[in-house]
Amino acid sequence: MRAFGNRPLVLALAMAVLGFLYLPILVMMLFSLNDSQYTGLPFNGFTLHWYGEVFADRKLLVSIWNSVYVAAGVVVLSVLFGLPAAIALDRYDFPGKGLFRRIVMLPIVLPGIITGIALLSFYLTVHMRLSLYTIMLGQGTALMCITITEVFARLQQIGRSQTEAAANLGANEWEVFRSVTLPGVRSALAGAMLIAFSISFDEIAVTFLLTGRDNTLPMTLWSMLRREATPEVNAVATLVVLMSIVLIVGGMYFSRGRGVASRES
Amino acid sequence: MESVASTVLSAGARETAVRSARRLDRRRMLFWVLPPVAWFSVFMLIPYALLLYTSLGKVEDMRFIPGLSLDNFIRVFTVDPYLGVILKSARIGLMTAVFSAVVAYPLAFFLAFHVRSSRFKFLIYLLVIVPWWASYLVKAYAWKTILGSGGILNVALQKVGLTDEPVRIFLYNEFSVVMTLTYIFTPFAVLSIYAQLERIPTSLIEAARNLGAGGWMIFLRIILPISVPGVVAGSIITFSLAFGDFVAPVLVGGPESVMVSNVVINLLGVAFDWPLAAAIGLVIITLGLLLISASGWLEEKTQTRF
Repeated sequence: MRAFGNRPLVLALAMAVLGFLYLPILVMMLFSLNDSQYTGLPFNGFTLHWYGEVFADRKLLVSIWNSVYVAAGVVVLSVLFGLPAAIALDRYDFPGKGLFRRIVMLPIVLPGIITGIALLSFYLTVHMRLSLYTIMLGQGTALMCITITEVFARLQQIGRSQTEAAANLGANEWEVFRSVTLPGVRSALAGAMLIAFSISFDEIAVTFLLTGRDNTLPMTLWSMLRREATPEVNAVATLVVLMSIVLIVGGMYFSRGRGVASRES
Repeated sequence: MESVASTVLSAGARETAVRSARRLDRRRMLFWVLPPVAWFSVFMLIPYALLLYTSLGKVEDMRFIPGLSLDNFIRVFTVDPYLGVILKSARIGLMTAVFSAVVAYPLAFFLAFHVRSSRFKFLIYLLVIVPWWASYLVKAYAWKTILGSGGILNVALQKVGLTDEPVRIFLYNEFSVVMTLTYIFTPFAVLSIYAQLERIPTSLIEAARNLGAGGWMIFLRIILPISVPGVVAGSIITFSLAFGDFVAPVLVGGPESVMVSNVVINLLGVAFDWPLAAAIGLVIITLGLLLISASGWLEEKTQTRF
């Protein structure tokens, strides 16, 4: 039997932690329904007015679309460059490998603002106009390490025997990649893509410095919260949470047996 | 491949075959290695080199003048408030890392040892990652609605009769900053600790129980030591994220809870002192590289192999 310890105590503590995690989310959801001009007490009564406001707010809707666009681009970039990086780190000893590994990991531990100023000075030097694409490149660089570490860990787990067997049987590089490497890392890659998407969607620090005329959702929320926080802010955040639950559950259901939770158990 | 080749081919042919195989291998290696190396060179190494170039110059009358002086680095370490702010950010990051680990542990423990059905496990796992998707800004703002002087906590305290006046110490100070950051980053710590606890074989616990160990004994002597790498990995991330945060100080912090990212933003936007901002950036990049090396060493050192 795996379970040990005082079960009621463990259960109570775990539920307390979940309560802590959900208290602000519930507050956020509750006050999205508040019939009041600003977020907070007193609670004047239920209304769906603020959800209507969200769907009438063109600027807000555009920024949601911008966030999805940027996040999708970040996911594409981190697969295009992160996957080869993980394969390179797993298979080969190339000069500067140790340094490369550290550089790749650096954006995880660096404040986004520092990554942001470094890239901003680069863009200014090469006269690149700030736009959604500059955000995409910045976030892509910062978040690529997620794909690299996840896929690298999986490759190390799998080992090399299958790849070598396939190569000995005459498979070329592309065939090895398509029928051995990719199927092996698929669930790790999918998990990393999901994480990269969710972090990019809510990214503030790198975006803050690299944003041009078009704003992402967090930038729009930031300016809304600094001016006057109407329950509209809560309404849009609630919608994002509900959408994400649908997406996560749908994604897990779709890839049954390859989901994150079942992988770890 | 070489062993097969050596039995079939003559010595001379073998040599050419090996050489051509090596050349092929090299080409394949470049195919995988070059694109990511090129990417990180363009988007990280060149920008960092530019930061170095900027940090060695100075600004006069809003214009950048290139130079080769270490003045800006000396300013980071000697002029108030830069070093102090870096240290304070590190302190806030450390507190956040410790509190997140402490808060996360029971939930990770519950998930790893007390949830048997995979359906329920999936549900709890989902409950841990869903708060991630709620906008960070709105979550931080929700704490304002809870802790503020007209907030839910104060109204509740007054209703119960514990206090007559709103308590103001809940918000706009270091406590609320650390609390909010702990709240935001706890899911990272849960996942990282859980991943490590999940690796512990059930047989290990059964063996300990058969030898007469009680619950606390098993926890202190087996589970806790094995979980250290997970706690370390999670703490590195929560520390770093909290260290570089600039939202919580603005939304729920007081005038004295300015952190290093806020200072850098002010240097860029208000003071227009790019060289000093670049110098601070390089100091932090150096600290970051040290942290990565230290964490790699620490995780290696504390990892248990089964």
